Amino acid sequence: MISLLSMVYEEDVVDTACSVWWKIAVVTLLAFPAHVRAQESPMAMIRNTVEQATVILQNPSNQGKENFQLRITKLRALVEPQFDVREVAKRALGPYWQGRTEAERNEFIRLFTDLVQKTWGHMLDRYNANVPQFLYDQERIDGNFAEVDTRIFDPGQNRAFSLSYKLHQVDNHWLIYDVIAENVSLVRNYRNQFNRIISKSSYQDLLQILENKIKELDTTTSSTQERNAAAE
Amino acid sequence: MRGVFLVAIFISIVGLGVQSEEIWAQEEDSDVQISDPWEPFNQAMFTFNLKVDEYALRPVAKAYDAILPDAAQRGVGRFFRNLGVVERFANNLFQGKFPRAGEEVGRFLVNTTIGCAGFLDVADPLFGWQEHPEDFGQTLAVYGVNNGPYLVLPFLGPSTLRDITGTAVDGALNPMNYFLSTLQVLAIKGGIGVASAVNYRSLNLDLFENVQRSSVDLYGAVQDGYVQRREKLIKE
Repeated sequence: MISLLSMVYEEDVVDTACSVWWKIAVVTLLAFPAHVRAQESPMAMIRNTVEQATVILQNPSNQGKENFQLRITKLRALVEPQFDVREVAKRALGPYWQGRTEAERNEFIRLFTDLVQKTWGHMLDRYNANVPQFLYDQERIDGNFAEVDTRIFDPGQNRAFSLSYKLHQVDNHWLIYDVIAENVSLVRNYRNQFNRIISKSSYQDLLQILENKIKELDTTTSSTQERNAAAE
Repeated sequence: MRGVFLVAIFISIVGLGVQSEEIWAQEEDSDVQISDPWEPFNQAMFTFNLKVDEYALRPVAKAYDAILPDAAQRGVGRFFRNLGVVERFANNLFQGKFPRAGEEVGRFLVNTTIGCAGFLDVADPLFGWQEHPEDFGQTLAVYGVNNGPYLVLPFLGPSTLRDITGTAVDGALNPMNYFLSTLQVLAIKGGIGVASAVNYRSLNLDLFENVQRSSVDLYGAVQDGYVQRREKLIKE
């Protein structure tokens, strides 16, 4: 009997507690915008981004050489918010990040982001309408950090390439801070390049090299487009 | 990286979650420092290899790519890898990976016979026997030998003192050494090396171009790429 009463009592307490929690939940739902409420898992975020990129690449109005810039702009608008660009730049600069002023850091972020987007955006664009198959293997979450393992199966080459993403949580959002292509961390690879340049010459030289590389990529891209247009 | 992740999981299991996050947060501290005391020599060899690639390997690989379909190129790649069975068997054995060593022997027997001299990999789909790449450089690493200085050699590309020592030991393990003269062995290995390099280059035309396009210091990019890939192979 006592145990039955205690169960009823506990149920009441639970009911009361539930109603309070419901109220808190409703207030919270109203207080926060939809994108914060519906927080995706790291893998879901990657998958959604890839699917949206696929839609952009497969949309006939985005295809063709004449729409190259439009495609790249749309891809950039989609992909960039999924990256913590400051964290990527910070990790790529490694030990030399600490000695930089805020203005220098922002300048470096701008140049590095531009370089990455001009190289990797171009590579992504090569898939164009022939989008390969994406396989999502696993995600591992450890507190505010996560790693998502995927593979890209290219039917043309009949082989799969491994592509993993490292993410961390910022303001309730998972953001990418490194990409590991075929077991090579791109951030770590750039870190080795940047550290070598700075240790042999100077930070200013690194900025100059980055600017020159970006100009070179612009020239290569536009000459390739002109060549393709002439061929058509 | 997988190793770092496993350590992170282990620490979080024993209740030190904050420390595990620190491992992720400060992972650049775990970078393997590349010792490069012979850099002037390495740079010269790197430039030489780039020229060999530009004027010989790449044009030949492009012509080869135009003639031979990708499926056939992959078959050629499998044929060459099948010949590396002694190296993989011995090094799996040296590292105590006995089932893997057994699979290597099984794969060689099945693929050399049913798989048309190794052009086809039938052992994996039929028996689930996968290739387990191990070389003596990895064996030395498993027994605690560090990379040693970074070393670039003509035609052979990036390596380290440890790995090039491993390559020499793997070469000595090849049974050809017991039946043929040194000159014959060198000629055969040279021929296999060139053919294998052309085939590999042909299958990776885009990859090389992408690395060149995305790098601001190609020497540093290739050096780090080599070290990262080796770390991963050793961890496996």
